[in-house]
Amino acid sequence: MSAVSDTAARGPGISGTSVTGAARHRPRRTARDRAGFALYLTAGALASVIFLAPLVWAVLRSFMPGTMVIEPPSGADFSHLTTANYTGLIQANDILHNVLNSLLVAVGTGALTAVIATLAGYGFARFGFRGSGLVFALILVTLMVPFQALLTPLFLEMHDLGLTNNLTGLALFYTTFNLPFGVFVMRNTFLQIPAELHEAAAVDGASPVRTLSAVLLPLIVPGIATTVLYAFLFSWTEFVGALTFLTSANLYTLPLALLNLEYGSVGQVNFGYLEAGAVIAMIPCVILYIALQRFYIRGLLSGVVKG
Amino acid sequence: MTTPNRVLSRRVPLIGHATGQPRDGGRNGTIRWSSLKARQTRTGIALIAPAFAMVAIFVLFPLGFAVYISLTNWPLIGSYHFIGAQNYTELIHDPQFIHSVLFTLLYTAIVTGPIFIVGYAMAVLVRSGRFGSVFFRTAFFLPFIVGLATESFMALLELQPDSGAADFLLAKLHLASIHTAWTVSYGLSLTAICVFVTWFASGLTMMLLMAGMQGIPAELYEAANVDGATWWQKEIRITIPLLRRNIALALIISVIGSFLAFNQFYILTEGGPGTSTQPVVMWIYEEAFVQYHLGYATAGAITLVVVTGIISAVQFYLLRDERDQKKAVRR
Repeated sequence: MSAVSDTAARGPGISGTSVTGAARHRPRRTARDRAGFALYLTAGALASVIFLAPLVWAVLRSFMPGTMVIEPPSGADFSHLTTANYTGLIQANDILHNVLNSLLVAVGTGALTAVIATLAGYGFARFGFRGSGLVFALILVTLMVPFQALLTPLFLEMHDLGLTNNLTGLALFYTTFNLPFGVFVMRNTFLQIPAELHEAAAVDGASPVRTLSAVLLPLIVPGIATTVLYAFLFSWTEFVGALTFLTSANLYTLPLALLNLEYGSVGQVNFGYLEAGAVIAMIPCVILYIALQRFYIRGLLSGVVKG
Repeated sequence: MTTPNRVLSRRVPLIGHATGQPRDGGRNGTIRWSSLKARQTRTGIALIAPAFAMVAIFVLFPLGFAVYISLTNWPLIGSYHFIGAQNYTELIHDPQFIHSVLFTLLYTAIVTGPIFIVGYAMAVLVRSGRFGSVFFRTAFFLPFIVGLATESFMALLELQPDSGAADFLLAKLHLASIHTAWTVSYGLSLTAICVFVTWFASGLTMMLLMAGMQGIPAELYEAANVDGATWWQKEIRITIPLLRRNIALALIISVIGSFLAFNQFYILTEGGPGTSTQPVVMWIYEEAFVQYHLGYATAGAITLVVVTGIISAVQFYLLRDERDQKKAVRR
């Protein structure tokens, strides 16, 4: 059995206390162990600074006055902290409108992916029929198709369906490219629930929908959380699809609004505004990941993640 | 059959199907096997239909449509003609397309190694589960979570001459002039983007490798300790061989991600100077939606589908292999 499946089978992701060869509890700590632990802490802390500093620095920068953002960093920067970039971005560029667009698309994508993937996962796990394996393989194979390579046919097709320059159309597009992962995760979630539970409900005369909503739903919440989290984050951070399918500025999602700040403005780019907008885009990702990382890691272990 | 009517199907042939009772058998408390089976199939199809319809409409149809478009001289508006493989023969003689392919390959070749090495080192650091490892893991992974587009806008500011943090730090270390403009020359922007992407993507490699490392039985390391193996020997002789499949998956995901690079180049260099830092996806985007050569752009896209498809097929092969092994273990 491979290592990934081994860990996956153990359940809810990587616990902070997993025991490996390097960290078995020993009855007594030797000086060598203590030195190793000190080295580990030092290396970890140093690497954490390298990985977190650019993000923390961006937050600090976004609170500097616009004139200082375009000057070399100096100690004086921190004595003039202001929210001017944020208020300016909200008042002059109506950025909250773009935040709302992004939120609508991301929430819509998350909800739609969850519903469709749950139904399909239930079907594949418990209502297999002749040919269902083939359909499952077909859905999974679409993981191999990069949407970046289908922009032209998708644009023409969605244009004819009235789905370009349309937030619903964008959410449908995002949902589809999250489905292979979602269906895979939900099918595995249903397969982990003992079949007897489903059978008992069926024998008692419960319809499939009732079995799903009354008996199985509490048990599949972790799978749904994983699916929604991936769909939401994909939608919130996606760039090239939105760039292709949206043309009206009032429909722009947050990344497109930021691009507009970069290229759309006449003359000098307002870097203070750009930094504030990027920080706004960053915040939901950080909060969602930290709060729900258990579910995120569950998804990583499925093995069908894309980069 | 592992389906819900397993319990029922055992006695059903005696009552319903085999004795050929009328269709209303179910209402009298007996259940026909064939009707149950049919209902099972109907329910299955109904549950799967929405997902299949979405995939058919937004992936399978566009895929076939793409092949068709690529054989025409499709403009954005107006009529088109079927021109056979002409787009493809033009592609292989188009210096700009060739350049974008070679540039993408170069970029992939440069970033794959650093992403893997940094990701591996971080996985070694956090796999132990010691005090602080969850914090470290979160810190290393956050750049990946925030996303390349958002971070490219942040990087744009920090790569500016005179005012950016990159020049500020490098000037303090006497490694570069404070006036270095990182995003307007080919070599500098490629260097900056590779460092930036390594920072962004190595967290994902770390996660994929860490999962595998934690699945390796501790007994193997204990046995090696008894034999007096050094850390390095254990890593080379135990961890890496047992991690082969995770390493392959992490590399494949990383390489496909690099092949599909777009955000960081579009936001930081816009493909410039000229089209020197234009990766394949940007070539497709520009050709289709700026030049309006939809047929020609789609021919380029098809080549991308084929290349990434072949690489992903290896990923699928590895996953399938894993499932078969699981089955073997269960037996």
